[in-house]
Amino acid sequence: MLSNIFTVSFFVSLFASTIRLATPILLPALGQIYTQRAGILNLSVEGMMTIGAVAGFTAAFYSGNLWLGILTGMVFGMLYSSLMAILSVTLRANQVIAGTALNILGAGLAVFFYRVIFGIQSLPPQVESFQMLKISVLSDIPIIGVILFQHNIIVYLAFLMVILTWFILEKTTFGLKIKAVGENPKAADSKGISVNKYRYFAILIGGLYAGAAGAFMSIGYLNIFTESIIGGRGFIAVAVVIFARFLPIRAMWGALLFGLASALQLRLQALGIGVPNQLMLMLPYALTIIALVLASKKAEFPSAYALPYSRKER
Amino acid sequence: MRNKLTKNLNQLLLAIGTIILALLVGAVIISFSGNSPIEAYLSMFNGAFGSKQRFMEVLVKMIPLVIMALGTSVAFKANLWNIGADGQFIMGSIFAIFVTIYSGLPPIIGIPVSIIAAMIGGGLWAGLAGWIKVKFNANEVITTLMLNYIAVYFLSFLVYGPMMDPGGSKMPQTKLIPDAFRLPLFESGNRLHIGIFISLIIVVIMIFFWKSTLGFKIALLGQGEKVTTYSGVSVKKMIVFTMIISGLLSGIAGWTEIYGVQYRLLEGITSGYGSMAIVIALMGGLNPVGILISGFFFSALLVGGATMQRMTDIPFSIVDIVQGLIIIFIIARTAINFKEIKNRIVRRMEHVK
Amino acid sequence: MEELRSKNCAVEMYKIIKEFNDVKANDNVDFFVKNGSIHGLLGENGAGKTTLMNVLYGLYHPEQGEICIKGKKCEIPSPTKAISLGIGMVHQHFMLARPFTIVENVMLGRKSRKGFLLDTKETAEELVALANKYKMKIDPYAKIWQLSVGEQQRVEILTALYQGAEILILDEPTAVLTPQEVDGLFETLREMKNDGKAIILITHKLEEILSIVDEVTVLRDGVMIGHVEVDCNTTKSSLTKMMVGRDVLFNFDKSLVEAGAKKLVIKDLKVLNDKNFLALDGFSLDINEGEILGLAGVDGNGQKELCEALTGIRHVESGEVKLDNINIENKPPLFAIEKGIAHIPEDRHITGLALGWSLKKNLIIKTFKANSKFGLIDEKKIEDRWEKAKIAYQIKANSGDDWARDLSGGNQQKVILARELENNPAILIANQPTRGLDIGATEYVRQKILDAKSEGTSVLLVSADLEEILQLSDRIAVIYDGKLMGILPSGSDVKEIGELMMGKKMEVEHDA
Repeated sequence: MLSNIFTVSFFVSLFASTIRLATPILLPALGQIYTQRAGILNLSVEGMMTIGAVAGFTAAFYSGNLWLGILTGMVFGMLYSSLMAILSVTLRANQVIAGTALNILGAGLAVFFYRVIFGIQSLPPQVESFQMLKISVLSDIPIIGVILFQHNIIVYLAFLMVILTWFILEKTTFGLKIKAVGENPKAADSKGISVNKYRYFAILIGGLYAGAAGAFMSIGYLNIFTESIIGGRGFIAVAVVIFARFLPIRAMWGALLFGLASALQLRLQALGIGVPNQLMLMLPYALTIIALVLASKKAEFPSAYALPYSRKER
Repeated sequence: MRNKLTKNLNQLLLAIGTIILALLVGAVIISFSGNSPIEAYLSMFNGAFGSKQRFMEVLVKMIPLVIMALGTSVAFKANLWNIGADGQFIMGSIFAIFVTIYSGLPPIIGIPVSIIAAMIGGGLWAGLAGWIKVKFNANEVITTLMLNYIAVYFLSFLVYGPMMDPGGSKMPQTKLIPDAFRLPLFESGNRLHIGIFISLIIVVIMIFFWKSTLGFKIALLGQGEKVTTYSGVSVKKMIVFTMIISGLLSGIAGWTEIYGVQYRLLEGITSGYGSMAIVIALMGGLNPVGILISGFFFSALLVGGATMQRMTDIPFSIVDIVQGLIIIFIIARTAINFKEIKNRIVRRMEHVK
Repeated sequence: MEELRSKNCAVEMYKIIKEFNDVKANDNVDFFVKNGSIHGLLGENGAGKTTLMNVLYGLYHPEQGEICIKGKKCEIPSPTKAISLGIGMVHQHFMLARPFTIVENVMLGRKSRKGFLLDTKETAEELVALANKYKMKIDPYAKIWQLSVGEQQRVEILTALYQGAEILILDEPTAVLTPQEVDGLFETLREMKNDGKAIILITHKLEEILSIVDEVTVLRDGVMIGHVEVDCNTTKSSLTKMMVGRDVLFNFDKSLVEAGAKKLVIKDLKVLNDKNFLALDGFSLDINEGEILGLAGVDGNGQKELCEALTGIRHVESGEVKLDNINIENKPPLFAIEKGIAHIPEDRHITGLALGWSLKKNLIIKTFKANSKFGLIDEKKIEDRWEKAKIAYQIKANSGDDWARDLSGGNQQKVILARELENNPAILIANQPTRGLDIGATEYVRQKILDAKSEGTSVLLVSADLEEILQLSDRIAVIYDGKLMGILPSGSDVKEIGELMMGKKMEVEHDA
């Protein structure tokens, strides 16, 4: 019985969808690596992604251009994250409360404008998604080719971003400054680095990535927008960053792990296996807790993690 | 004494100012959508206070919301960001219904047992997050939130599976609890039940709770872990304890909703109460009386918002937007140093002279 | 007059005013520093020295005033501008990111030659060359947390020099150094002075002014009190008078006690620090009945961990602690509190006080159970308690409902003293009890510690301030790298204590 289910083709489609499902976690996680490294715990990733999803969907729907959709998602994600920047950096508010507020507001705004723009329809409006981009030669390799090289372009770009993020953080002055304002903002300040400016950058970059990931969900994966489209992926991304100890490569593995959990749930559900669907749906969330349990004790948080900065305080 | 009075009055005025500001921004957003904000707010107000029945409905919503917000406030006061009130509400409901349906206890014992079960369910669920924090240093914001999702799917699993009403034509819900277990209504024709007294009693209990040594220890934890340890209070114990108290209150909230309104488990019983409880707790300044007042306001917003959605083209989400805006304005208000700004302006004026 | 001054002045600051929330931290301050000189900036804590220097370094923006660097009028809106004007600053708390390497820290402060990319290798090479010029040894790829405090300070100075500093500000640079390390630092500073650099030394230590400084400016309460050239006519007492506005006699009536019975016995203590390294490595010490035992040592040699282990806050890996022959190691903190172990923690803001709480509640954070009735806090009792403490300890506050946050450091420390000394404790563990306090409060705290001793309390006084140790202690123990280096009698020589603080073991062990 089991051997009938766990065939080669099962694993091929499982791993291929693992990669696809890792993408909307990997993208925001990479963005949050910047943000958290700079010392800001931005819990409003969920809200930023929902905003990105609705903005991207609307743009793609009316223009018919998916790239414009992704771009719009990114811009709106970034604009929305600027609220977090104002609250946490300029006003030095409690980051947990600010993040929670922005999640509630983000969900409200996204659904409000979706309803206003599209009204209530019996069938949800759809967009045509990105075509699968088979990479020549490589995609013809049996098994590996199907798993790795038959995805839409956003998936490839997301994984390329891992290397770019690593490079920027480790090899550039910009990355060094981002890390410095999270590690010792006073020191950075005394060395002539504007703490607020770099924290703003780090938050806005986080918004950019989250917006892209939201748009990916609505126009690169589901092709529709729903109220619960993000489904906790924003929070999972925050957890992945901690799990990855703020390192891009590890974040990629973390995202893949969650991709695998979601893919497993979908595949097994499709096969109609005995485990109730609701219990399978818990899997990614339970996994998040387990990942946090395993990683948190060892994680070396940036010294100024979740702490606002002001020159006056000594 | 008078000092305290003016202070409270000031706080109330500030709160009202915050709400007005949020409603104004909400009005701008509504007009963006091509609707009339005046119409929207009128229909909202009418929806909440337009008839006795509607007003009673506001009080019905207020019962679980106030209790949940009190639970949330306990954790927040200790600087523990328990944002999993929804999950704790659900687990409390599940535990309570479970013993009521399957134990066969007579109401006189069964009712108190079901309350205790609800407290255990909610307390365990929050305590679990507290224990994970203490043991593994895992951020409670994320764990309580993940536990929400897990509770939601667990509830859905139960009502679609083992606890589904056998005689209910495959609807995803449990069977109804016996009449004798239901909280009595005040009058037929509306849903207001005696749970309103329970929530008022809990408000009073919480007033005394914050004057007790246990409340002292929880609030001390909110001042920092180092000073807590230094004072001879075990931080680890207090974290777990605080979370349990916070969660058991949400469990009771679930109990009032199930035994007073729904009479059974079904999907979506919390429908966003958790995030509203956070807003109510913050708006109420984490203070029991403040929470009672802000709980009333937000219940009215909730009931009025639902009516507004039915009567106009404006989506209910405007209620979420107003909630989010209110928290933002609250934190902005505490963050902005008005004194410094005033000084700066005064100084500039002097320069001009 | 002004032109003349400009010709050989590196820094001129005119009529500087800087306010924080209505308080004038600098009030019309004038300040001038000559090229090729070491200039002392003297004043008590809170006199406005650091504020003035932060203005010069572009960290604070003055409400009023004019600054000239090398005779040219400048605006200094940011540290970047200050650095480009050739100003460098070594802060009291080092401005180094601890998980970063030395070279990464240096690169933070300047433009890269490779534009967007880091120029790690080139910077490291130049840094080593510069270090060699000033006879310093560094490994540019060492991580900051691996370095000793003295080494970290060298990195700070080197960073400033690397950025091309011609004017170097040092904020209390000797506070964290042993006497021998201080000599080394002064040697470097003299060499820099001979190079023509202007050096500003912020300090409240008079010995330093007399031993190395050419000129001194004195601040008091944000106001410039005077400016003198240091020569053989300059005396400590004249400077003190300028600094404090009155004569201060730091002579306490200290009656030495005879060795009583052993009150607290610490044996072979092993304790880990927050990074899980051994902070105490087989530490042993006895404290006798009714004495003040001074524990001297440079910061970070295990003092904090010792105090925390004694009060039950930190886990003890091995060894034992006995109070009156009862083992107290690895008992919960409440046990130590109930046994009468009072504790003045090093960090009064985070550990010693609940800053967002009222003063009267702060008085009972350890005794809230005794101050409650039927499980409810007894408001009347704690109000009475506050009224008494306020008078007994001369706490300056409007009411017991004021927040602890809003008090000055000295008054905050008085609240802690009032709480800790309430019931004649058996032992008082005082960790850096006067750090960051002004002279008046320092005097007061020291007197209270002596009073406690005369009431029969045994005291463990942990301090990096040798003057304090010498003034108060009946015996002096020295800690280094988690080990006891030796025990000296009351009137010992500073040099001898200093050597022990550097890790030189005493030849004859005083093993009590």
